[in-house]
Amino acid sequence: MLPRRFCHCHRARLQFLSTRLIGQNVSGDQYDVIVVGGGHAGTEAAAAAARGGAQTLLVTQKLSTIGTLSCNPSFGGIGKGHLVREVDALDGLCGRLCDQTGIHFKVLNRSKGPAVWGLRAQVDRLLYRSAMQREVCATALLNVREASVEDLMVEDPDASRPGLARVTGVRLGDGAIVLGRAVILTTGTFLSGSLKFGTSSVPGGRLGEAPSVGLSLSLSELGFTKGRLKTGTPPRIRKESVNFDKLEVHHGDERPVPFSFMNAEVAIEPSQQLLCHLTYTTPGVEDVVRDTLAANDHVQQDTKGPRSLHLAVRPSRAQYRYCPSIESKVLRFPGRAHQVWLEPEGLNSELIYPQGLSMTMPVEAQVALLRHIPGLEAADIAAAGYGVQYDYLDPRQLHPTLETRKVQGLFMAGQINGTTGYEEAAAQGIVAGINAFLHTRSLPPFTISRTEGYIGVLIDDLTSLGVTEPYRMFTSRAEFRTILRPDNADQRLTERAYHQTGCISGARVVTARHIASRLSEGISLLKSLCLSSYRWKQLLPEVGISQERSGHMR
Amino acid sequence: MQSAEEDCNAEVDPLAALLNDSVPKRRERIDRDGTYQAKGAFLRYNLLCNHFDQRQAHGVFETAGRLPSPAELTVWERQEDTEMDYGDLLAVFKPRHFCSVPPVGQGHTIFALSSGRGKCGVAVIRVSGPASAFCLCQLTRMKQGLPPPRTAVLHSISDPNSGELLDRGLLLWFPGSLPGLRPAEAGEFTRRAFQAGKLDLTEVEGLGDLIHAETEAQRRQALRQMAGDLGHLYQTWSHTLTRALAHLEAFIDFSEEENIEDGVLNQVDNFVRQLQMEIHSHLHDNRRGERLRSGVHVVIAGEANAGKSSLLNAICQRPAAIVSPIAGTTRDVVETALDIGGFPVLLSDTAGLRDTHDIIEKEGVRRTRERLEQADLTVALLDVVGLLEASNKLTHLLFSFLEDLNVRQKQQCILVLNKIDLLHKKELNDLHCALKKEEDLPTVCWLSCKTGSGIEEFLRVLRAELEILCGNPLLGMPSLTQARHRSHLHKCLEALGLYEYYKRADMALAAEGLRSALASLGRITGKVGAEEILNLIFRDFCIGK
Repeated sequence: MLPRRFCHCHRARLQFLSTRLIGQNVSGDQYDVIVVGGGHAGTEAAAAAARGGAQTLLVTQKLSTIGTLSCNPSFGGIGKGHLVREVDALDGLCGRLCDQTGIHFKVLNRSKGPAVWGLRAQVDRLLYRSAMQREVCATALLNVREASVEDLMVEDPDASRPGLARVTGVRLGDGAIVLGRAVILTTGTFLSGSLKFGTSSVPGGRLGEAPSVGLSLSLSELGFTKGRLKTGTPPRIRKESVNFDKLEVHHGDERPVPFSFMNAEVAIEPSQQLLCHLTYTTPGVEDVVRDTLAANDHVQQDTKGPRSLHLAVRPSRAQYRYCPSIESKVLRFPGRAHQVWLEPEGLNSELIYPQGLSMTMPVEAQVALLRHIPGLEAADIAAAGYGVQYDYLDPRQLHPTLETRKVQGLFMAGQINGTTGYEEAAAQGIVAGINAFLHTRSLPPFTISRTEGYIGVLIDDLTSLGVTEPYRMFTSRAEFRTILRPDNADQRLTERAYHQTGCISGARVVTARHIASRLSEGISLLKSLCLSSYRWKQLLPEVGISQERSGHMR
Repeated sequence: MQSAEEDCNAEVDPLAALLNDSVPKRRERIDRDGTYQAKGAFLRYNLLCNHFDQRQAHGVFETAGRLPSPAELTVWERQEDTEMDYGDLLAVFKPRHFCSVPPVGQGHTIFALSSGRGKCGVAVIRVSGPASAFCLCQLTRMKQGLPPPRTAVLHSISDPNSGELLDRGLLLWFPGSLPGLRPAEAGEFTRRAFQAGKLDLTEVEGLGDLIHAETEAQRRQALRQMAGDLGHLYQTWSHTLTRALAHLEAFIDFSEEENIEDGVLNQVDNFVRQLQMEIHSHLHDNRRGERLRSGVHVVIAGEANAGKSSLLNAICQRPAAIVSPIAGTTRDVVETALDIGGFPVLLSDTAGLRDTHDIIEKEGVRRTRERLEQADLTVALLDVVGLLEASNKLTHLLFSFLEDLNVRQKQQCILVLNKIDLLHKKELNDLHCALKKEEDLPTVCWLSCKTGSGIEEFLRVLRAELEILCGNPLLGMPSLTQARHRSHLHKCLEALGLYEYYKRADMALAAEGLRSALASLGRITGKVGAEEILNLIFRDFCIGK
């Protein structure tokens, strides 16, 4: 065991640390930006920093899990679709990759006004993961290394900026030290993560993957305030065991709307795309939940109030306001039929993802529960649902750039900040990546305000209000909702980001400018048309133009 | 104690204090410009707001700990031309403004003389803040520590440094979880109460009105408002609207992926329609509450030499206006503030209406007409002798007279026939009979300012009219007391109209209507909650992952 970790107020320690650094083999392992974690936040962060020109290293426990969709096989939705569009406007990856790998596209909220349209897509899990891995490998200046990160290296802070210490790199599981001028932590649910199956609990960040305990400790030693959150995932069901005949069928849009501003159409032909099915819970589900409550630790904590978990400094609420699991749903809203969406996992996948059925009860009970859902009577579980409990860092310790207030050059993005969802993670990842790059070049930071985008709303809510439950984006969170539409994300963000960050490719900004000029042409054309309301009514009989002020030219 | 004395004299204006706190630079600037007025809260914040420019707005944001974004400034600029008030400021700062303010109870300890200034036997000094306990111990030199909480204790009070006995007094100690001392700014105690959520804006206004209440009815109204009746009414509306908005927001955010019951939108429609009706009827109260708060404008008008100034003097029981037998004695408006039957009255005596070539008198007549425009109640005064002379075309004469005085409704007028001492009984009786037939005439009073007969009866009639105009502040729905409320309620109605307009076409724009309606209501009471909406959504609907 190496000597104990650095404590920022200790001068003697510092000297010791530097000797330790010199003593170790540094062997040219020196980067501008080190990203820890290869999920949605990590990949966006690493790619953004590399696009800017930073020598970037992405460290992940397993190379093969880069770009994994740990939970549902879909992207977007109402509010979340806005985020994907904004990430895309900042030249992010996820929008483009969804267009390549999407197997069921649908714009939600079509009837409710363009400001709240929700772009959504089911994506093929495997295709998405391999597309992401290809993308990461193909990105210039971006290196990938398979290792676990055990500790953060810090030094005296740069006196001209606020902060108690400055990050200088990370120590890997094998003891090797990698130096970096900025470090972005995107460890998701892996910080002291534990998986819950019924009454048993296994350390882990995701099924079959070890948690990150060392890093969690070193963050505590640096004085970061942590809390504990939980989430869950549903069982995966074998497709051939589902009886789709009596279920409600949902088709995707006939003309899929791509996420990315760079794409005119999606890669997979609409005719090749898959269907979703909708089914509902029955009263039998409620009985199973109640009968197995004693064997369900994860949910019991919901109903009995918080247990004292280690490091849980903030009193966590007894219940999250939106239900994390089917158990909480039927307990809080009994006597209702709850929706279960059966989503395809991929073109060649044998699995179905039952959205809305995330559960933590013992496996036998999960099987029994499915018996009470129409279409799933004979369902065969391929992987059981489970709960995850993990440490998050109070996001109020962050600047709006997602750099920590305590440690200069240390950034955090994604679920580690208490959010939930791929889109929220990607949105933070890209902001952290851009700012980490700007930090290494000592350039002014790039932030997005609440008035400019959902990303601004997300980060402002996190850094000023903190979280008490996993934070999820809704359009109702945005005060300026009517102007923050998914269709104008590029017009709001691309040009500014191009000038202020350099993390935007030329092709991207050319496209945005082209759209902008087309828009202004269109607007001036419309403005040049001036007719009497009588003529307008003749030309557009369906619009219902009032003729009260006839003769007035408009 | 110099500063404390100033404080007790200054008006309670917590909102201004709020502004002062967040905009220290601005206040200085205005002071230097000489446009700042120490009196009149309304005037003050209008001044503040109307003089706001972008650069100054920057100052505000800087003191609030962050820089404004372009869109916020746009909002600022847009609001600049309309009437902006504290609520607007609060709305701009929320919720971040309160995040940067240290929690109540931390920071300075403040003190002030809470009772009136002047020579008196009893005075109340109030100390509030974290160092109160320390201060109490120092001043009393109590050996056993603090006195029992919430119990009055007689104790000597001495100078903490010299030990010299200052006075003996009752100590009352209300412990809080709360340790420098500085004099309270005007209204600071109230501001703390406001920030701690103990009072809302209408209650704060009620407190201000209570302190300034000059008549019994004003006191009752202010007390009722301070007790939270008006705020409660607005809160109720606010809750209804929040609920409506929450349902609409839930429908927008979740209806396509989650279970949202049918009929949610109908419910929203019903909520909105009911609210529109209630606000509408609240607004159509003939400005009762505002009149009672600011005083009823009663104007005495009539022909020259009819005895208007005599009537004024008779009502105030002092020679407030010069009286002479010469027509055109009164050339300017003579104003007196009176308490009649508990109602505040601003009584104006005006120049007699007649054609004249005297430029001073001409101006007087113009001013009279101006006053008549603004009058809540017109006392139309006629010389009864002139009436007798024109007895054959009496009705025509009376109505054209009233029309000349700009009296449109008979309820807004009392017709006073003066100089009855100059008539015989029979002549009077004849006139009585002639006028009784006329149903469209306002209430008629017969009196003589010279002998004083009929004055009592006139005062009784006047009181009755005032009661109708101001209403009984203790009965029925609480009245709207400030123009500020009225303007925000109008904005609220307008915004609800937007909802109605857009609800079929674009739900996001319809929701925007409800959002701004809610903000307008919130500006009256100072409570605008965004997180509330999400709370309601999650309480009423089952939203999954």
